[in-house]
Amino acid sequence: MRHRLASGVVLTALIGILPAGAQAPNIDWTSYTGDISGSRYKPLDQINASNFGKLEVAWRFKTDNIGNRPEYKLEGTPLEVGGVVYATAGSRRAIIALDAVTGELLWVHGEREGARGAAAPRQLSGRGPAYWSDGKDARILYVTPGYQLIALDAKTGQRIASFGNNGAVDLKADSDQTIKPNLTTGEIGWQSAPTVVGDKVLVGSAFREGFTPTSADNNKGTARAYDVRTGRKVWEFHTIPRKGEPGYETWLKDSAEHTGNTGVWTEMTADPQAGLVYLPVESPTSDFYGGTRPGNNLYGNSLVAVDIDTGKVKWFYQFIHHEIWDYDMSSAPLLMDIMVGGKPIKAVAEPSKMGMLYVFDRLSGKPVWPIQEKKVPKGDVPGEWYAPTQPIPSKPAPYARTGVSENELIDFTPDLHQKALGLVKNYKIGPIYTPPVVSKAGGPFATLGLGPANGGTNWPGGSFNPENHTVYTYACNSCLLAMGLVPPPSGMSDLPFVIGQAGQQVAMINAAGADQGADAPLLRRAAPAAGGGGRRLTVDGLPLIKPPYGTISAINLDTGQIEWQVAHGETPDYVRNHPALKGIAVPRTGQTGFNIGTLLTKDLVIAGDAEVTTTQDHPRGAMLRAYDQKTGKEVGGVLMPAGQSGSPMTYMVNGRQYIIVAVSGGNYSGEYICYTLPNG
Amino acid sequence: MRRPLVPIVLAAMAAAAQAQTASIWDGVYTEAQAARGNAGFADHCARCHGADLGGTGEAPALSGPQFLSDFDGLSLGDLFDRIRTTMPQDDPGGLTRDQYADMLAFLLKANALPSGAKELDRRSEYLKAIGFSAANPHPGR
Repeated sequence: MRHRLASGVVLTALIGILPAGAQAPNIDWTSYTGDISGSRYKPLDQINASNFGKLEVAWRFKTDNIGNRPEYKLEGTPLEVGGVVYATAGSRRAIIALDAVTGELLWVHGEREGARGAAAPRQLSGRGPAYWSDGKDARILYVTPGYQLIALDAKTGQRIASFGNNGAVDLKADSDQTIKPNLTTGEIGWQSAPTVVGDKVLVGSAFREGFTPTSADNNKGTARAYDVRTGRKVWEFHTIPRKGEPGYETWLKDSAEHTGNTGVWTEMTADPQAGLVYLPVESPTSDFYGGTRPGNNLYGNSLVAVDIDTGKVKWFYQFIHHEIWDYDMSSAPLLMDIMVGGKPIKAVAEPSKMGMLYVFDRLSGKPVWPIQEKKVPKGDVPGEWYAPTQPIPSKPAPYARTGVSENELIDFTPDLHQKALGLVKNYKIGPIYTPPVVSKAGGPFATLGLGPANGGTNWPGGSFNPENHTVYTYACNSCLLAMGLVPPPSGMSDLPFVIGQAGQQVAMINAAGADQGADAPLLRRAAPAAGGGGRRLTVDGLPLIKPPYGTISAINLDTGQIEWQVAHGETPDYVRNHPALKGIAVPRTGQTGFNIGTLLTKDLVIAGDAEVTTTQDHPRGAMLRAYDQKTGKEVGGVLMPAGQSGSPMTYMVNGRQYIIVAVSGGNYSGEYICYTLPNG
Repeated sequence: MRRPLVPIVLAAMAAAAQAQTASIWDGVYTEAQAARGNAGFADHCARCHGADLGGTGEAPALSGPQFLSDFDGLSLGDLFDRIRTTMPQDDPGGLTRDQYADMLAFLLKANALPSGAKELDRRSEYLKAIGFSAANPHPGR
């Protein structure tokens, strides 16, 4: 059943002609992560340690008018092919094609999806498009907020008429499941960039946030491959096995039948030589309460390697049995060739919100270093089912904090530390996989976790240099989450528990971007009761957790050793200027954030600050920083008008290297900024 | 070619002077305005930002040192336009400028900034003349 959306109006404008063919060397960035192995690496060194600080703005593209309202959450990483930059942009999530040298708009394509766009669980601009070419045709593919796969002519931005239904595949209709309750409002969508492998294009699935789901019975996750020429579905992988499929038995009481979510919301990677696609699968319904789905819940929280032609499982590894922490699997699998003990291994490394890096032989699924099942604390939430053990890698060591103890609390001064101890007395704390608790007015209010929901490493994922076999990844090292469970207020949910705290009004938590996309109606809702908010996890306005708040780590996968780790991001103004810290030498703290992705060039790790600061060295702004890959030493920086909100990329056109980064946040609406070196 | 430079320089000086005429620490709203804004906040903002302005989910806290840091170095007009053009999320720009100004007054009060005798203006251009600084530029005043 294919539905042409009644309100689907194509907005296409063709302006100008593509740039003339290049003569000097061109290095393209053809996929979201630069390639389909997830590296975010290009061996360019025109921009290097000696000149990074001299970078100038080549051009900038403000996305305010790509949609009917500005967006403050621009998360895209553009592609660049043959002198043209392609990116998702704006509250419309349109595709823009720009001249890679000048930034001139060549064409724009958006889809008006009406009520279906308005109901989409994942709105706003998304993370990016995919590119395919057979040398003659060239296509841009992307998924709209309303969950359509669109194929466009890369030269003109016009839909490819022979693809799907006049250039579109309705991903809700063309599914093995019947989307509930209907195709317009049925909850499923996607905000990531498709991956093109040969003549196939891979698409995943995402849902609303799972903090306060309305029902334990939800639409199910899926990952699919489509023929990039015709739009015909090649295979569909059921992340929740159907009756008769392997893994169904891990859902006790037939809970696979009703349970939903378990999407593949982040980027997928592929090894065409091995014929395998790697799917990072998120957690099932709901994020913090799993009593409605007893059992280990395959393929929730797993890495699944499937055959590129059939979608059949070749191997899988489950990182978390019966997930109740919203750790998901957040990051593109990194497909690396490493050398361990003199033996070459085709590996896959998976960064995680847990702050642990899991490394496998990517052909067999065998861990490169032993991963041991360790006993974990059992909780006492009524009706919950607890897995007795969870896998913990023996190597590499965790690259971010994995649990909360008194050692992690603020200790700039004894007074601040005492206040922090007083605050956490009301909470349950413990090592990783300490389960959520039922919130009580007299305490515990919640379990405190470092990494749940936010990471560790979240959607930007990691990066690696295939030459030196090293993973470079950002991690939030202070992203605290209070995991308290309360019965939902009347009418909110059919689950017995949702996230919230006793004595506080329970607020429905929507996915980021919900009601903010260009299709969202500009209509007044009935004035709701005041939301409760949380109890603040700060001490005199300072973070409860001590620095470093965010880090970049270099992890060598020949040895499994963390080679260096640096605090990433300027010390926030509210910390540096805090009266309680007067006279105390505070080293750079880094920043609390989870939107930071790294770019690798030949010798540099490049990443921007998440937050703006104002210091003696620079006026209000956020730094785009470069670090030496060998040492982690910062070698240069450029001031940006707002924090990095989408991961940077690089390319070379006519012998000149460029870096594009998406910035937005605070009062600064989305903008792609392109940097290059000064003339001469 | 020197002639055109003069008006440009003068215009730049005028703009700089305008940006420096007042600060959020100078008592730029009234208690009555903040009280109206409190009611408006409960109706339109608290659902996401929390009744105590502490934030929920991805909606950030609107009081405290981090909030003040985020807008440090900008103008009150910048914050006003950010709110006015994007909030509430399901109805951006759907309230009147007076309502937005009242809620902005409430945010200032919630951040322990002093009130005064004159209400906040409803026009962005006038609010742009009020500097937003996380630290009191005239401590002791």
